[in-house]
Amino acid sequence: MTSTAPVGGATATATTEPSLETRGLTKSFGGVRAVDGADVTFHRGKINALIGPNGSGKTTFFNCVTGMIKPDSGKVTLGGNDITGKPPHRIAAAGIGRSFQLCRIFPRLTVLENMLVGVRSPSVLHRMGGARNGDDIAKARELLRRVGIDHLESSEARDISYGQQKLLELAGVLMVDPDTIMLDEPAGGVNPALIGRIGTLVRELNAEGRTFVIVEHNMDMVMSLSDHVVVFDRGRPIAEGPPSVVQNDPRVLEAYLGV
Amino acid sequence: MPSASDTTTGAAPAGAAPGGATERRSRFDTTLLGGKIALLVVVGALVLVFPQMAADPFILSVGVVIASYAALAVSWNFVGGFTGYISLGHAAYSGLGGYATALFITRADLNPWVALIGGGLLVAVLAVPIGIASLRVRGASFVIVSIALVLILLLVAQSWASLTGGAQGLRVPRPFGEDVLRPEQHERFFYIHVAFVVVALALWWAIDRSRFGMGLKAIREDEDKAQALGVPTGGYKLTVFVISAFFTAVAGGLYALWFGYLDPIFQFSILIGSYMVLMSLLGGLRSLMGPVLGAVVVGYSLEFFKVHYGDSQFHLVALGLLLALVVLFMPDGILPAVGALVDRLRPEKRTSIREMTAEDLLEHNRRLDGGTGTPEGTATPAGSGPGATDAERDLATVPPREEQR
Ligand SMILES: Nc1ncnc2c1ncn2[C@@H]1O[C@H](COP(=O)(O)OP(=O)(O)OP(=O)(O)O)[C@@H](O)[C@H]1O
Ligand SMILES: [Mg+2]
Repeated sequence: MTSTAPVGGATATATTEPSLETRGLTKSFGGVRAVDGADVTFHRGKINALIGPNGSGKTTFFNCVTGMIKPDSGKVTLGGNDITGKPPHRIAAAGIGRSFQLCRIFPRLTVLENMLVGVRSPSVLHRMGGARNGDDIAKARELLRRVGIDHLESSEARDISYGQQKLLELAGVLMVDPDTIMLDEPAGGVNPALIGRIGTLVRELNAEGRTFVIVEHNMDMVMSLSDHVVVFDRGRPIAEGPPSVVQNDPRVLEAYLGV
Repeated sequence: MPSASDTTTGAAPAGAAPGGATERRSRFDTTLLGGKIALLVVVGALVLVFPQMAADPFILSVGVVIASYAALAVSWNFVGGFTGYISLGHAAYSGLGGYATALFITRADLNPWVALIGGGLLVAVLAVPIGIASLRVRGASFVIVSIALVLILLLVAQSWASLTGGAQGLRVPRPFGEDVLRPEQHERFFYIHVAFVVVALALWWAIDRSRFGMGLKAIREDEDKAQALGVPTGGYKLTVFVISAFFTAVAGGLYALWFGYLDPIFQFSILIGSYMVLMSLLGGLRSLMGPVLGAVVVGYSLEFFKVHYGDSQFHLVALGLLLALVVLFMPDGILPAVGALVDRLRPEKRTSIREMTAEDLLEHNRRLDGGTGTPEGTATPAGSGPGATDAERDLATVPPREEQR
């Protein structure tokens, strides 16, 4: 496997500033330590990948970072600000958007309505305003057009195909204008050609300055897309670095192949 | 970017169209809107002349009962319809509203209408801690918690006899003097109830259109996802819960003023709470008028069975059957089922995946191809955008398989 040179200057790894950091992050379910004292640093403006075998705690890590579950201990910072244990909507407001491993959309709302949920509200008065106003709709349509599902805007979200739902979920996250976008298996369960489309979108959005953290099992995608790879095993990072280095790391091979 | 939808977005104040999504209103939609308005006018006129047309005071009193049910159902639907949290215990708020109104009049010597609003406000304040505690749990757990509250209040109302009159019940002074005769009382209360329902519906409608309402509906569909998108779910749920409690309490207070007597067994009963759920489900809890329609159907049936089968429990069996039938054949309620039926008559289908023609698809793909997919001002990084293969572009726009529903 020859790795494609990452877009956006992978050579500059040394000069990057941290965006999202965790220190000693821990979360147990009963006896299972899903995340076990993880110290992870993701870099601003980069496409970061988080990989690891099934059950290594990647999704749990995401949930701890985005406030969906409270970590038992440890610290999460975003651009230096402590966001540990804050409720998800505050973390969203702080600039982290995320997708879910099993694509989550609002099934009985239309595609357009799905988009309007993520509109940021600065004040109570703003919340009382009409949801279907020209500005928000124009922005929603622009994003739908960008991911290529604008022709479906009045379909109920449950009626569109799984691949289209994944695109909708991504577009919905973009409505919130997050600086950091965390995607849990964006290529999971989608056709190879659509994977290419999602990859292209990620690159474009990254070029606009957005930081990505992507959990993915599709190694081609990880290697061609990411600038920085963190490898998880049993709830903590065991290796990290540029994709070309990480994929030859013996510890990574061991974790994946179990040798 | 000269694309068809761009020009229309700019031209139409998009928020105005009820569909919002479809830019141009078709002839069918115009006809439909006209039909709806006509229906609204006719039904509204019928409601207004009902007291004059009612043959006797009994029929008139049935009208008040149905209007009272509608008031309760619409109030319940602030929580149930928007957030999907099914409270079986809303009788707690109607009951409290009733007792608060009565006690404000008898103990504090307040004007009945001030007492009514005061009762509603008191219950709204009480609903804050109750909401904070109970809205933490979802689904079945929330239902159980909501029931628990009614049972507790029933015990309190029965045992705190010095305040509530206990099992003896509580007499509520009439707001209109003794010289106002029964039929006249019924007529006035009928109009007051109708006005209340109209105000509640107007607020429901306003919330439905707001960003707040969009957040609430997102909570109904997927609460965690909504919160991940920045919706302050806790605050939203609590707000709408307090609104619902306030309206339910005022509806309960109105009932107390009209009926003139409060019996704890009847005020704090699971059955009343269940009626509110049943009526909303029956009519369609995601539609504005659903709970009203449900209240008319359920209220009429209840009175019908009571008249024909007396005090037997037969009306409960019949209502249960009715609910089962509706849930089986119209799971979303009557109004959405009617809406779907009307939609089938539509000559041109709404833009939807299955209706997209080959030309549309081609045009759509051409637009993506032309690079209009990227917003202006954003440099397209080399090797992306236009570099995408045809297969990639097609994939995003391939209509789903037919069996997908
Ligand atoms: N809610 C939960 N309750 C109990 N155990 C859980 C829960 N969520 C995760 N776990 C456990 O924590 C461990 C890590 O799970 P997690 O879903 O985070 O892994 P993952 O790396 O995302 O795996 P995959 O690649 O399969 O998605 C697993 O052993 C899992 O069984
Ligand atoms: Mg996972």
